[in-house]
Amino acid sequence: MSDIHHPGRRSVLTAGLASAAALGGSWLLTGCAGAEAAPVLPAAAAKGAPDRGGTLRIARPPASDAETLDPASSLSAYEYLGALYNRLVRIGSNGELAPDLAESWEPDAKARTWTFHLRKGVTFHNGRAFTSADAAYSLRHILDKATASPQAAVLAPLIDPAKLGTPDAHTLVVPLKTPNAEFPSLLTHYNCYVIPDGSAKSVGRTGIGTGPFKLESFAPAGPGRVTAYTDHWAGRPVLDAIAFYSVADMSARSNALLAGQVDLLSQTNLDFATARVVAASDRATIARVKNAQWYVLPMLTTEKPFTDVRVRQAMKLAYDPEHVVQVALQGAGTPGWDNPVPPSDPAYISAHPKHDPEQAKYLLKQAGHEGLAMDLYTSSYDPLFTPMALAYQDSAKRAGIRIKVKTASADSYYTQIWMKKPLMATYWFTGRPVDQLFTQIFRSGSSYNETAWSDKGFDAVLDRARAELDDTKRRELYGEAQTLVIEKGGAMTPMFADRLVGISRKVRGYAEHGFEFDYLGIGLKGA
Amino acid sequence: MLSFITRRIAAAVGTLFLSSVLVFLAVQALPGDVATQILGKDATPDAVAALREKLKLDKPAWERYADWVGGALHGDFGTSLVSGKAVGGEVSTYLGNSALIALVTVLFAVTGSIVLGVLAGLYRDRWPDHLISTVSLVGMSVPEFVVATVLVLCFSVALPWFPAVVLYGPDASVGQLLPAVWLPALALAVVMAAYIVRMARTSVIDVMATEYVTTARLKGLSTWRVVTRHALPSALLPTLHVIALNVAWLVGGVAVVENVFNYPGIGKLMLSSVQNRDLPTIQAIALISAVVYVVCNLAADLATMALNPRLRTRGRTR
Repeated sequence: MSDIHHPGRRSVLTAGLASAAALGGSWLLTGCAGAEAAPVLPAAAAKGAPDRGGTLRIARPPASDAETLDPASSLSAYEYLGALYNRLVRIGSNGELAPDLAESWEPDAKARTWTFHLRKGVTFHNGRAFTSADAAYSLRHILDKATASPQAAVLAPLIDPAKLGTPDAHTLVVPLKTPNAEFPSLLTHYNCYVIPDGSAKSVGRTGIGTGPFKLESFAPAGPGRVTAYTDHWAGRPVLDAIAFYSVADMSARSNALLAGQVDLLSQTNLDFATARVVAASDRATIARVKNAQWYVLPMLTTEKPFTDVRVRQAMKLAYDPEHVVQVALQGAGTPGWDNPVPPSDPAYISAHPKHDPEQAKYLLKQAGHEGLAMDLYTSSYDPLFTPMALAYQDSAKRAGIRIKVKTASADSYYTQIWMKKPLMATYWFTGRPVDQLFTQIFRSGSSYNETAWSDKGFDAVLDRARAELDDTKRRELYGEAQTLVIEKGGAMTPMFADRLVGISRKVRGYAEHGFEFDYLGIGLKGA
Repeated sequence: MLSFITRRIAAAVGTLFLSSVLVFLAVQALPGDVATQILGKDATPDAVAALREKLKLDKPAWERYADWVGGALHGDFGTSLVSGKAVGGEVSTYLGNSALIALVTVLFAVTGSIVLGVLAGLYRDRWPDHLISTVSLVGMSVPEFVVATVLVLCFSVALPWFPAVVLYGPDASVGQLLPAVWLPALALAVVMAAYIVRMARTSVIDVMATEYVTTARLKGLSTWRVVTRHALPSALLPTLHVIALNVAWLVGGVAVVENVFNYPGIGKLMLSSVQNRDLPTIQAIALISAVVYVVCNLAADLATMALNPRLRTRGRTR
């Protein structure tokens, strides 16, 4: 802060007024341009090689005042994890699995036992060598009830922590309770970063991992700093250091970027108005994470009238996802057509029923709900909820469906509205492997099953897919699962939205997709 | 005078108790509790039950309140349900940061607005009066977060003189916070000053019309001497009360402005603890706010009495 000096009062006032006029002027310009201004938002961040070194400053929303560096915890400080740790397996930019600390992996003939061959010559930040004991310990740590890890719900039905095998220092054997051909993909979750053996008590503060950066300081919901780990197995990162700052308020975060105090806003999907202001600034610009946010209008299948599959089908046929993308996203995204699998996923199928308000009317008449009237809940939790709800309301009118959009308080939205009201707006970050997506959010009885949908046929398809080792056949089964969700499920997926990320014009090599952030390649130019 | 003070202090203690009950009930009435708020989407029934047990939320509400009152009476405000730190220490760290803003604000607002108010009063119905009155009316009508945002746009974004937000945590030193104090203080001072300017102007006009001021002028004293020696002390009297009430208002105003600037003060702590339903922290903050309010009012009344002989003697004869 040494560059801040205190000018005289008079000059502050006059210069301030002049700059206010200038800013107002530029806003008017962008505002008046209207439709022409829409394509102004850049499609990608600046390309080109970064300079070596430098400190990247990231503003982040704190997970909680009790946040921790323990990757398995539900209160983990997400942005630090990818810098400090590695997983066994990660998801590559093409959506396929890619090696991380495991160089290769293979199942037995029945997909009941998986063997991971671990990378040699990897060291933790404290100098200790990484071995299979650490990998096994990290899995046991996730499964430990005391950790209360969200990923335990996914892994506990599959793994018995006592049976993990470590035949040698660089081999991990995981016997499964039920066959699962997609098991390695479940280890790509951000709760599955590898921590040193026996570090459950301390890792939340020390952050010791094998990642490209090592921890210098960390305060829950406060500032923190990581510095380049020169002995990282994949080579030294471009940056010398990353400073993380916690800024809870979203407009305060964008102000910090506009004022040049930070270089990147993480986990922040800017609204279009703010994004325009950022893009017009000469310090900052907008980068996009394609289809990063999966927007859902879940219908609770246990609440009337959504207990009737014909009503659910009518709700889906009644609206036009293209219209929602144009209105709510100003085109910055992809229509979902009620398929929860993002278009970038290798298992994605593009087939879907056409928008058909007449058929919707017919189905509603059959079900005895002609001229259906429903409340649709939204909140300011995310800037796109209300535009999406209004676009749906508008589009569904043609099928005679009357939607009333109701706004609920943002701070209790996920405790009072989500999974409680029959119809509401919500979203997830994309990046879940397809098996986890279906198992966690659509399978009968799962704790994240936000439509409370229960379909034995669908569950059976998931089981068959898990037991199928042939990649092509397995993908066909996941295609079948998508068809079932589209035709019978309770979730409407109107759109996948690009995340509009505020980023300094100096940043180069920014790459983020799903839960993957490239900390090795990101850097600064001319800083 | 003494009986008046004792009555006021007794009433103050009653107010504090009532406010603690009201805040407790209000937080109980909010949907969700610490466990569901912290876990959010990950609030599976198992996780919520485990966290509730860990935080002793499974005890009935009145029992938790009684525990809290018992501790508070002994100076122990409990531990934060979210961070697990002692509330007393945590709140005082944030309070100290806020005090820095409050101090600068009060200095800005009081000196600035009295000068402006007196000027407006002296130049009644001429252009300085119109200018000052209009600007202060605008300041009064515009909400503080708008003023704060405009200040950020001017002096952080367009002209990079001050930081737009504070990037440090609550443990930041005064030196680290100092560059960031000016904009929030200015935003608060603008809103606060409006009331004081209006009040000072009115009382200066009143005083300048009195006979003793006329006499002083006839004696041949300069305007400067008349104003500083004779008019100002009397004109300040009604202004004092407005100042005291505005200092109390600061406690609330600071909450909004601190969040705009990400300033690690009591207002930001309050917002996050309400969002988290962190009852012990909310209670402690509410108690402090109530104390500030009560003390400011008491101080205003006492100061008015001390400066006004008529009120003082009426208290004595009773």
